[in-house]
Amino acid sequence: MIATLGAKAVQDVVNAGHFGRFAWRSVLTSMRSCTARRTYPLVWTQMNQIGVRSVPVIMITGAFVGMTLAVQAYDQLAGMGLEEHLGVLINISVVKELGPVLAAVMLAGRIGGALTAELGTMNVTEQIDAVRSMGTDPIRYLVAPRFLACLLLTPVLIIYADLLGVVGGALVSFLQLGINSRAYWGFSAYGVDLWDVAIGVVKGFFFGGAIAVISCYKGFTCEEGAQGVGRACTEAFVASFISILALDFALAVVSKNVYEVFWPLKSLVG
Amino acid sequence: MVEQTKNDKKQEPGPASPPAIVEVRHLTKRFGKKVVLDDISLFIAKGRTTVVIGPSGCGKTVLIKHMLVLLRPSEGEVHFEDRRIDDLSEAELSRVRTRFGYLFQEGALFDSMTVAENISFPIRQHYKVKDWRAIEDVVKSKLAMVGLDGFQNSYPANLSGGQRKRVALARAIALNPEVILYDEPTTGLDPIRSDIINELVLKLERELGVTSVVVTHDMKSAYKVGDRIIMLHNGKVIADGDADYIRNHPHPIVQQFINGQVSEDDLAVLRMAGAASAAQFLPRDFDS
Repeated sequence: MIATLGAKAVQDVVNAGHFGRFAWRSVLTSMRSCTARRTYPLVWTQMNQIGVRSVPVIMITGAFVGMTLAVQAYDQLAGMGLEEHLGVLINISVVKELGPVLAAVMLAGRIGGALTAELGTMNVTEQIDAVRSMGTDPIRYLVAPRFLACLLLTPVLIIYADLLGVVGGALVSFLQLGINSRAYWGFSAYGVDLWDVAIGVVKGFFFGGAIAVISCYKGFTCEEGAQGVGRACTEAFVASFISILALDFALAVVSKNVYEVFWPLKSLVG
Repeated sequence: MVEQTKNDKKQEPGPASPPAIVEVRHLTKRFGKKVVLDDISLFIAKGRTTVVIGPSGCGKTVLIKHMLVLLRPSEGEVHFEDRRIDDLSEAELSRVRTRFGYLFQEGALFDSMTVAENISFPIRQHYKVKDWRAIEDVVKSKLAMVGLDGFQNSYPANLSGGQRKRVALARAIALNPEVILYDEPTTGLDPIRSDIINELVLKLERELGVTSVVVTHDMKSAYKVGDRIIMLHNGKVIADGDADYIRNHPHPIVQQFINGQVSEDDLAVLRMAGAASAAQFLPRDFDS
């Protein structure tokens, strides 16, 4: 029993080490690829797969987040006579937390699964070994374009989710709940800073990078057979999901401290 | 280690002892607790064709993957032209690997690319291509070599198993490698296609002086292309010599393998299984 637990712990540490090395190599190689023109067509292709084709599903996610928030929060605020403040609550929740996190979770499902399945299938059919056998680094050829595409486009997709979340929340508030639009936008403008929008978008870089590295790693290390690829896809989604939540917490703590230190200085500069 | 010898079916007499181009020294490979290769030492002579035979799962593919350092040894060393390569980084290995061609057992063609894109892949990766017409010409000549000119725009999914293997061979020779590693090149092919592959291996050796290492179960192919045949069993080399040496080898496992005979032990297991099958359930047994 103790021996089994010990062996499992050792294996987990070894796997963590492998993942750390893979992530480090992926980030370094991707940074180097930024200056290599031959990588650009590969990045464009991945941007189309990862970014452009994800726009509809991300917009739908964002819209429903805003609309649901409006319906759920209205009663609480109306009970206190603060229904005109609904815009602040919806918009700050959407741009700072729910928009980025739910958009990233949606991307982890849509893109992460596809990346793991594609690379996993390449792995079990020896296509990744074929890339290596021809003297090409599979990290540079396969991982870097996907990493860069996820890193650059997740923040953009989060802006789409934010936009549709704001619009969805506003439409439900005006048309269904009958809130005065002037007051709604007035309180929103007062309560939501550029900082709130920016921190949501910055989270996108971290979420996108995490989704890409985890999904590619799971694809590169998946076991033989259809079952192995399926299991790798599931593990990639679960690991990406947990990473998104953990990163969200860490970034919330960091951004809060940064805000408290630097944001008041804005008035001195302005 | 065994001296280089000529297959009796080959015609040209070679120099007495060509230099080694690839050498493995005391190579051991373990996957978990399982020892797949056990302290193997051998060299591959330059410009010759070496065939590796042995039963399924004996470590043939693992051995040739070490020659290209697609796998790293648990113990031992791999040398290419007297330089140790198993301890090089992946970036350093890139240059070495361009001097090899590797034909994978299932072809390992990139299924998202056309045949032409597959074959031009290594060229596009290692050269700055300015004249695309020249690339098309190279692809055309490589495909003509394997008898598939005209299939440039097909996708691997639309090809038969034999065609895929031949496209994979065209891709393996795209960079004009000095060493080609063939992993079961004739498995799954009909006898005529198998012979075409054998002739291709011979042609590459004869005309371009390519060094070949062929992993196969197919003894007809082994005798035809091999200057030297190595037999692996349980992770060790149990026979190493030319075709005549292997044909007359006294080891019972070698004789059993080259003649395709089942052993008495295996027969006994089969007989027992036959007796047991009479006691198996039939669908009617489940009817109440």
